[in-house]
Amino acid sequence: MNKSWNILFLAGLFEIGWVVGLKHANSVTTWILTAIAIYLSMHLLIVASQKLPAGTAYAVFAGIGATGTVVLEIVLFGEPFRLSKILLILLLLGGVIGLKLVTDEQAGEQES
Amino acid sequence: MSWVYLVIAGIGEVFGVMGINKVNQQKSIFSFTWLISGFLFSFLFLTLAMGELPMGTAYAIWTGIGTAGSAIAGMIFYGESTNWRRILFIGMIIAAAVGLKLIT
Repeated sequence: MNKSWNILFLAGLFEIGWVVGLKHANSVTTWILTAIAIYLSMHLLIVASQKLPAGTAYAVFAGIGATGTVVLEIVLFGEPFRLSKILLILLLLGGVIGLKLVTDEQAGEQES
Repeated sequence: MSWVYLVIAGIGEVFGVMGINKVNQQKSIFSFTWLISGFLFSFLFLTLAMGELPMGTAYAIWTGIGTAGSAIAGMIFYGESTNWRRILFIGMIIAAAVGLKLIT
């Protein structure tokens, strides 16, 4: 179960990669890297969904993508840092952690 | 028209996520075609919608429809848990993701 969450997290990281790529890619190499990131993120999302409910996996995947993109835009591309962004990221983290706890708990009930 | 495109894009995303379930149930050409065409449709219509709507707004609504729709489709068609805490936490993630895309 934990392995699936790690795979899902990795899928989210590759998603951040291609979202940034779609916006900033400007050469053949960066476009190829963007395409590889799209493929890997989808592949890993599918693998994670073998053990996790697809609705859960997709929500977390989309959440990591949204957060990561905002953080990267602040760190790398000089977007303004705002309190509202931090609060939304905290809300999102709360949702992801809660979802993980609920999912693990239900999987445990099914196994026993 | 752009709002119609956006709704179609959201539905395409829901089909894409249903495709993930299909691929995991059976690795057939049908499943992969379902998955890929769902996401392709989604991106195509999102791009069309972004031609007229502000990018942040289009992206936020697309995420909201797609993620909520996928969770609902999973509960209806694939027996995913309808536990109220699960729905609450998915709702928190969607609200935050939509909010982040709206303000950036």
